[in-house]
Amino acid sequence: MIRLPLVLMFSALLFSAGVYGVLARRNAVMVLMAIELMLNAVNVNLVAFSSSLHQMSGQVFALFIIAVAAAEVGIGLAIVILLFRTRESINVDEVNLLKW
Amino acid sequence: MNIDYHALLPEFILAGTILLVLVVDVFLPERAKWFAMPIGLIGVVGSLAGVLSLIGAGTRESFGGTYVVDEFALLFKGFFLVTAVVVLALSLRYFREGGFYQGEYYFLLLTSFLGCVMMPSSRDLLLLFLALELVSAPGFLMAAFRKGDVKSNEAGVKFFIIGVLSTAVMLFGMSLIYGVTGGATKLAEIGVALDGVSGEMETLAFAAILFVVVGFAFKVSAVPFQFWAPDTYEGSPVPVAAFLAVASSVAGFAGLLQLMFVAFAGQHEFWVPIFAFLSIATMTVGNLVALQQTQVVRLLAYSGIAQSGYILLTFALVTDDAASNRNAFAAAVTYILIYGVMNLGAFAATVAVSRRHPTLGVADFAGLRETAPVIAVGMAVFMISLAGVPPTGGFWGKLLIFQAAIERGGTLGPALAVVMLVNSVASVFYYLVVPRQMFLRDAADPSRLRVPALVTAVVAVAMVTLVAIFVLPNVFARLAEISTLVGLGA
Amino acid sequence: MSDYYSSYGVVLAVLTAGALLVAVAFTTARLVAPNAPNREKLTTYECGIDPVGDGWSQSHVRYYVYGFLFVIFDVESVFLFPWARVLESIGYAAVVEMTIFIGILAVGLLYAWRKGVLRWA
Repeated sequence: MIRLPLVLMFSALLFSAGVYGVLARRNAVMVLMAIELMLNAVNVNLVAFSSSLHQMSGQVFALFIIAVAAAEVGIGLAIVILLFRTRESINVDEVNLLKW
Repeated sequence: MNIDYHALLPEFILAGTILLVLVVDVFLPERAKWFAMPIGLIGVVGSLAGVLSLIGAGTRESFGGTYVVDEFALLFKGFFLVTAVVVLALSLRYFREGGFYQGEYYFLLLTSFLGCVMMPSSRDLLLLFLALELVSAPGFLMAAFRKGDVKSNEAGVKFFIIGVLSTAVMLFGMSLIYGVTGGATKLAEIGVALDGVSGEMETLAFAAILFVVVGFAFKVSAVPFQFWAPDTYEGSPVPVAAFLAVASSVAGFAGLLQLMFVAFAGQHEFWVPIFAFLSIATMTVGNLVALQQTQVVRLLAYSGIAQSGYILLTFALVTDDAASNRNAFAAAVTYILIYGVMNLGAFAATVAVSRRHPTLGVADFAGLRETAPVIAVGMAVFMISLAGVPPTGGFWGKLLIFQAAIERGGTLGPALAVVMLVNSVASVFYYLVVPRQMFLRDAADPSRLRVPALVTAVVAVAMVTLVAIFVLPNVFARLAEISTLVGLGA
Repeated sequence: MSDYYSSYGVVLAVLTAGALLVAVAFTTARLVAPNAPNREKLTTYECGIDPVGDGWSQSHVRYYVYGFLFVIFDVESVFLFPWARVLESIGYAAVVEMTIFIGILAVGLLYAWRKGVLRWA
């Protein structure tokens, strides 16, 4: 049996890694993957709490997050492909036409 | 598992319409694609009829109390569906002439509105998350709908990354709340469970609340999480910007109101200072940056940010006193609804001008009194109302918030009221820029602007509504009174 | 109190031993192993076959559409498993609800088919 605080610490680290990735990565696909990391940290949290509380609703929540995350990645990739077609680049820091 | 089918009727009608639009679209020939709009319009009106049939039917619960249809929910559902009618009316000509994928657009737009309609009824973390996603996910695609335009692509990318990031932050907070409360996901249960936690768990609960607030702060474009909004609005097609500025942000507020006033009400001592800061920063930065804008959609975006600041102010007024909380809540609801009407009107007028001047600089509004008198008068009324000057509805909205702030007492209430007053005065300067162009400058091309009848009708109705709110404030004050949220300071 | 710190002493000892072990192993390897640098040793390992092309290679955009359709329908099946688990206790209502759910997905498939996404050519 793995103790709950360890799992929570793991998920907090995973989430932080995701936040770092979103802020530091230039490639849009990498940003998408970093966001996936954050969502998976949430899933780890929910499943850990759910198993330690012996209560199902957390796992149901996690299932919905998995489904929604898949849809989000689909939308994100579509937008990235669109960006690539018009700009020949998917670096997010080059997306800077609009300011202030 | 009890399901009240009558209470869910508006959602069912809207969902059915969405599927119908998609199926009809794939079988329509290219030149008849616009036909998706009247189908959607009929569906929205049907859904609105469903909402009207529920008025006075009392509070109705479905799915074990996680989906509640009460007066608060009905008020917002009605507002969102009327907004849907308006945005559909604004879209028809714009998307027909622009050569866009029309069927997909109406499908996405209605899906977003389904999320909006679900939001005020969702009384469970999972449902709030699903409703929020349903609002924003189609929004990402709609923002990028001008596929060949680099600015529109940029709008889509920024909106997508910020939208998904904010959802992830909010979800992390929700997952912690689930753990801290020992497995509560219903808002009312969370409120009870959070009152019982102390010590280290309370610290964790505060962290969770902070995560959720930051997630929503992105959605309602509060400073310092506002930078995506002007870029996204400017790059999107104008009707989509209208949708994002009105429906999407009001849906965010509908969710935030429920979370703060029901689930986290007991922790107000922790989050009231946060909201006070957010509110002051949001209105000040929004107004200051708006002063320098020369593009009308960006001007409206920054004005929207400043308006978000006024609404956030009501959250900072929460105390232990239930009566005073109800005051703040009523002020927030009234202001949100009035804000929706005036902003929608301003965007409608902008759509009308965008046919001749797609870049929508402030100077493009010059001489509108000659070229399109109804639009010009309407736009002037919306701008005056947004500034909070009588004789318009915006005046009552601001007065209600001001009153609630004064009545809260202490040092915080009056201090916030003063900041709001100073900001309102400053905002008059940029709100009058557009009317000055319309009435004091002459147009380069004095021929009449051809405005679609639907757009003129929207502008006229919104204008009349705002003046009517000023003349008959009691009718609208009652709207907020009846919208008592279940579990609010009972 | 000294007991408390002496238990940290064990941790410190393990850390030192670990660091020493790694340092000794690497130093020995450096001293003993023959050093014969070779360009081919730096290539990416792909199951023993010579690698083809760059690390970032473009694939046809159709793969994206196919992959995406697969992901959507694959992930939706996540809802089928809990449903199957409780089907017996809920009865026909559950069957009707799942039919509606799959029907909505089928409309999505219909859309993809009419847009010509399912043809490869």
